Amino acid sequence: MLEARNLTVAYDHRVAVADLTLSLNAGEITAIIGPNGAGKSTLLRTLNGQIPKSSGVIMLDGQPLERLSRRSISRRIAVVAQEAELRFPVTVLEFVLGGRFAWATNSGWGWETEHDLQVADEVLRETELSELSARLMNELSGGERQRALMARALATEAPILLLDEPTANLDLSHQATLLNLVRKRCDERQSAALVVTHDINLAAQFADNIILMKQGRAVHSGTPEEVLKAEILQEVFEVRVVVDAHPVTGGPRVTPLINHG
Amino acid sequence: MRKLLLAVLLLALLFGCNSGQRGTAPSGPGTRIVSLAPNLTEIVFAVGAGDKLVGRTSYCDYPAEAKAVAEVGDTLHPSLERIIALKPQVVLVSTASQLEVFTQQLQNQNIAVVVSDPHDLEGIFRSIQQIGELTGQQTQAENLVAKLRERTNAVEQAVKGKQPVRVFCQVSAEPLITAGRDAFVTDLMRRAGVTSVTADVPGAWPKYSNESALAAKPEAIILPTGGSMGSYNTEVTEALRQSPAVLQGRVYKINDDYLTRPGPRAIDGLEAMARALHPDAFK
Amino acid sequence: MNRITLRKTIISCALLAGALLLAIISMSLLGSEPLPVRESLCALGSLGTNACGLTSDQFDILFQIRLPRILLAAAVGGSLATAGAGYQALLRNPLAEPYLLGISNGAAVGTMIALVFFGRSEWIRPVLAFTGALAATLAVYRLARGRAGATPERLILAGVIVTTFLSSVIVFVTTLMDATRIRSFTFWLLGDLSGTSRTLLPVAITIVIVGAVVLTLHARSLNLLMLGERDAFDLGVEVGRVRIVVFLVASLLVGSSVAASGSVGYVGLVVPHLARLSLGSDNRISIPAAALGGALFVIVADTIARTIIAPRELPVGAITALIGAPLFIYLLKRA
Repeated sequence: MLEARNLTVAYDHRVAVADLTLSLNAGEITAIIGPNGAGKSTLLRTLNGQIPKSSGVIMLDGQPLERLSRRSISRRIAVVAQEAELRFPVTVLEFVLGGRFAWATNSGWGWETEHDLQVADEVLRETELSELSARLMNELSGGERQRALMARALATEAPILLLDEPTANLDLSHQATLLNLVRKRCDERQSAALVVTHDINLAAQFADNIILMKQGRAVHSGTPEEVLKAEILQEVFEVRVVVDAHPVTGGPRVTPLINHG
Repeated sequence: MRKLLLAVLLLALLFGCNSGQRGTAPSGPGTRIVSLAPNLTEIVFAVGAGDKLVGRTSYCDYPAEAKAVAEVGDTLHPSLERIIALKPQVVLVSTASQLEVFTQQLQNQNIAVVVSDPHDLEGIFRSIQQIGELTGQQTQAENLVAKLRERTNAVEQAVKGKQPVRVFCQVSAEPLITAGRDAFVTDLMRRAGVTSVTADVPGAWPKYSNESALAAKPEAIILPTGGSMGSYNTEVTEALRQSPAVLQGRVYKINDDYLTRPGPRAIDGLEAMARALHPDAFK
Repeated sequence: MNRITLRKTIISCALLAGALLLAIISMSLLGSEPLPVRESLCALGSLGTNACGLTSDQFDILFQIRLPRILLAAAVGGSLATAGAGYQALLRNPLAEPYLLGISNGAAVGTMIALVFFGRSEWIRPVLAFTGALAATLAVYRLARGRAGATPERLILAGVIVTTFLSSVIVFVTTLMDATRIRSFTFWLLGDLSGTSRTLLPVAITIVIVGAVVLTLHARSLNLLMLGERDAFDLGVEVGRVRIVVFLVASLLVGSSVAASGSVGYVGLVVPHLARLSLGSDNRISIPAAALGGALFVIVADTIARTIIAPRELPVGAITALIGAPLFIYLLKRA
């Protein structure tokens, strides 16, 4: 659905992404992990068309990304970032309806259609926010707000979801809720998701594919089992780790060894 | 916040404007004088003390000799350092209220500050006499006042018994500013056989309502212009375009320096107004 | 607060428009010169085609002086409030305001340059005022944008810097003027509607209508921009294009109002805020409501300015600041 070939992004006199190739496929979740400053977020912003690429190709549904209008990209790619700025009071429902912007026939002074309201209703239910829909966004807790951000992204009905550290501010149960929503989208609607995360073990559990980035390059990619190997991780993160099998899922489990020489 | 300050200043301008002379008198006649107002500079030269003037403002452009004197800033922003460096005994100012700190500092340097802000013809005469005393030119000052009184009397005699003309004095068109109760030009107009339609409006130079100007139906309009104002204020404000004054062609431009500087040339203004409005009285 | 619907928007705007019309008519009856009420209403009702027994002077006062001034007040108020609403949404800051950001000062410098160097040409005034407003807008925007984006504090600070710098420029230009002219200039700087110009009135009215309509037509984009530029981009807003449109339109609005009346302060702050407070943050309703409310506010403020010490007058800016400054402090405390 979304494909990047030999993608290079340079800005501020620095190469942030170098010669990277990836492809997001229907029904699959891809996780990007790597040390700080590896270019993970830059990659995500480039795939969305926000940061211009220096060279390479990005194809969205078979068309070069740069030929598509902003609105048509937003109908196909939704982004979940970390926090929204809330300096003006808006209700949760108003906030979520923002996700319908790219579909509006009148994006200027138009009004939401019945369908827009229906979609909003549905995603509010999915994210368990129905009861809070009339509340103001800045009255919500951090976890509820993150869910509202997720709800807005789902409301775009975009088949591709790009998530930038979506679980950074969440506790364990909310992390699970959020990732289950992503999983559900991918399973039910054949969506594709790209998740930038720091949490290797979480990635091991929910991702179909993992891309390991360092200094702008995709140094390894493949299934969690293929990528999450002790020698690979030690080389990339420069810290000793132990990788064993998770007692429940059987997938790889990564434990860094701190103060064990 | 600057806006509020300005508003306060403005209210002071509208309601305040104290008159008369005050300040500290120096001991003995001064030999080094700084003048911070163009009318006071004119008076200093008129009483023959021009050689004692060591500092003036950028607005002091008359008489021509004044321009040779060192500049110390403008009336509202004089340079204290420059003034002190000139070592004057007396500084003449026209706006006391806005220069309180300034006055204090000068007095700390043993420099006398004399405030003179005349609001009528008699005030101008007193100013002349006062500056004459300050500069040791009493006799010349008395002679000058006598001469000016004579000219004033001549004008008053000539227009005596004439039907007073109802006049609007337009100082600025946009916004409309006129001469109020405390402007010396209002006194001049009265003496020139003219009734100013704004003679009772409080303040010296109030901003005036366009519709009240129209409703006053002035028979003549005086436009102070052509002096320091240059080509500014040469046209009657839109609201008065249909007034009897404009319809009858009775719009008179008079050098603004005569009408806005309460100094010796005010008498020129008085004569010019009387001649313009009562031409038959001067045949 | 319930979701804003087309129905609610139309009802609110219709009510405000009705109040505006009522204000135009009732404030036309007040002034330094008393006019007979019944005859004046009749003449107003006939749109000036029938004198209804008014003397020709009374008729002129009503139609040549008062009504044009009231219409200019409406245009200036509508312009400043609309521009304020636009800046607030775009800069994501409820405290953004043309006067506080120095944008009015930019327009004032432009107008002064036009007055000093181009004298009587009335057309060059709004053009240079617009240029000045745009330059000041870009300066504030540049200064306010740090690594973390434009925080409210940074923006206000940038506004203070630009305002004080341009104030110095204004002081510098006034020193080039004659003392008598400075006095009239002081009034103008404070915001003054008495010099209603026949040339500029239709220009100002056209600009306020076009400006308010254009900004309203970007309301949905602005709704998303209020929540962050990056989010808005992700959701399909052409951020760059919208930013240019809002900057241009808001500068045009501020430029035309400053050229016509000097810098009337706080309208752009107070009015959009009240609109949001009573109708919600949705720009589809708050922008048109601010435009109508701004017109209403300045008409009333100017009526106070021209009647309270009649036949003398106060500059309208003194009245709007008297109301606006305390409200601004209240908003700062609440924020």
